[in-house]
Amino acid sequence: MKKNNNLGFKIITAFVLALLIIAVLAPIIAPNDPNETNIMMAQVGPCAEYPLGTDHLGRCMLSRIIYGARTSIFAGLAITLIVFSLGTLIGVVSGYFGGAVDVVLTKLITIMQAFPKIILAIAVAGMMGLGIRNLIIALCLVEWVEYARLARSFTFTAKQHNYIRAARVCGESHIRIIVRRIIPNIIQPLIVNASLGIASIIMEIAALSYLGVGVGESIPEWGAMINAGKGYIQTDVRLVFIPAAAIFITAAIFNLFGEKLRDKISG
Amino acid sequence: MGRTETALRKIFSHIAQIAVVLVGITFITFSIMYISPKNPAEIWLAGIDGNVGMISEEAIREQEKIMGLDKPFIVQYGNWINSAIHGDLGTSYTTRRAVTTELIERMAPTAKMTFISLAITAAVSIPLGILCAVYKDRLLDNVLRIFSFFGISMPSFVLSILFLWFFCIKLKWFTVIAADGMRGLVLPIAVLVIQCASKMVRQVRAIVLEQLEQPYVEGAIARGVGYKRILFSHVLKNSAAPILTCISIYVGVFLGGSAIIEGIFSVNGIGSLAVSAVSRMDYNLIQGFVLWCALVYLIVNLAVDILSAIIDPRIKYERR
Repeated sequence: MKKNNNLGFKIITAFVLALLIIAVLAPIIAPNDPNETNIMMAQVGPCAEYPLGTDHLGRCMLSRIIYGARTSIFAGLAITLIVFSLGTLIGVVSGYFGGAVDVVLTKLITIMQAFPKIILAIAVAGMMGLGIRNLIIALCLVEWVEYARLARSFTFTAKQHNYIRAARVCGESHIRIIVRRIIPNIIQPLIVNASLGIASIIMEIAALSYLGVGVGESIPEWGAMINAGKGYIQTDVRLVFIPAAAIFITAAIFNLFGEKLRDKISG
Repeated sequence: MGRTETALRKIFSHIAQIAVVLVGITFITFSIMYISPKNPAEIWLAGIDGNVGMISEEAIREQEKIMGLDKPFIVQYGNWINSAIHGDLGTSYTTRRAVTTELIERMAPTAKMTFISLAITAAVSIPLGILCAVYKDRLLDNVLRIFSFFGISMPSFVLSILFLWFFCIKLKWFTVIAADGMRGLVLPIAVLVIQCASKMVRQVRAIVLEQLEQPYVEGAIARGVGYKRILFSHVLKNSAAPILTCISIYVGVFLGGSAIIEGIFSVNGIGSLAVSAVSRMDYNLIQGFVLWCALVYLIVNLAVDILSAIIDPRIKYERR
């Protein structure tokens, strides 16, 4: 059973690496320029030149999907990394110091939890304008909360242990205790949680782009492709199917990776 | 100190906490809109044509005065809070109607969708989740694991569009522009149930499994208590409160409107209202919507705390 699990983890890690390689090497792998329009070749089916056909403007679907992987995966990983670090930091500080700091930070966490998340993200992204940087900021603003809440409750438990008191009595500084004693003890479940969260962040990027508050027209993105293809759904559903499949497969791979990582760590 | 007194004190502190959160959330919303480079007066004058360049500077100033946008930030927010306390959430910048009327009108379809989807989801997920926990790693558990895996890896907007294509265009069971009444709500409810059930089955399974692994279950088996009896009168009883908490999360999310799903299925609900309010920078309407979502979230939380304490007296009624 254990061995079997390990093999599963290796396979899914290989899939994640394959996605990363596609994202990094997009300019080399993509058969065509993803933004080159060719109205004469609009909406042609799969052929030798365009393996997945072209969209309503005659752009190569496969190339757009490959470049879209770049946007989704890079932005998804960047956001996960930022909210994981920021949320953990806020949660640990809040849980460790307690008192007034904790009161203020828990209030802030409650306020953020009561916010309608997607509306807040749309408002922030819409306000700052299109672009990948603004999309990342908007999603970071709404996503750090869950990490902070978790980190806070773990820190709270870790703090009760005698070795923390002992370290304090021995004269270790607060910063040293946090960095050397608390964080190494609580980080594992937080990492698992973050890896399970990558897929949902990738789906949220697609959702925002679908609503037109994403990365902008010049960058191929799966959610935006679905939005554009929706207008042709009666005649050529391929324009929706292909990006939909891309989102689903990517989310599934990251979800499986998260689950296998969790099984591996929790034994 | 009497028990009633402590309970009263707790309820008061809970209400105080709700007030703090509501003030905080409206303040943040106001700040975001205030620092936004978009000018609502300009958007209002531009109307649906969007001919922004054509509007004179004076007209914009005049309009700002009408909307109260020329006043300092704190005064604007103070005025808003003051009338909100009196039940007046202002008028929408775009429709010139009272925000409360707008919200109430759009509430009906969203509320219907929420309660029907929640009822179906709970009716499906709770028994299935329990079965998955009892027959862990057997056929049913494995099949449902795959189903929920599909559910959590498919964004709701993608699922909605695929449903729209399959049921409205391929099979022609429904019209693309949703019909009024229940018929128009079938597909969005189906999407919500699939999304939410695929998560809830796993959550219920985890909650019941946690109980099944407790030492008291082993003790009861050792004492020769029947498995059915252990399951129904101990394990499920202890699982009720956490399952309730898990359901409550979805009430908040749904009542706030599933903005994108409503948009795709052209349901005139509160979520699609919010999306259009954001794109038009309709301050008062956004503010009213955020306030509504926060209220639902807080009230549902409070209700769950009280209900959990009733279901399971070991849980102390405490603020989280």
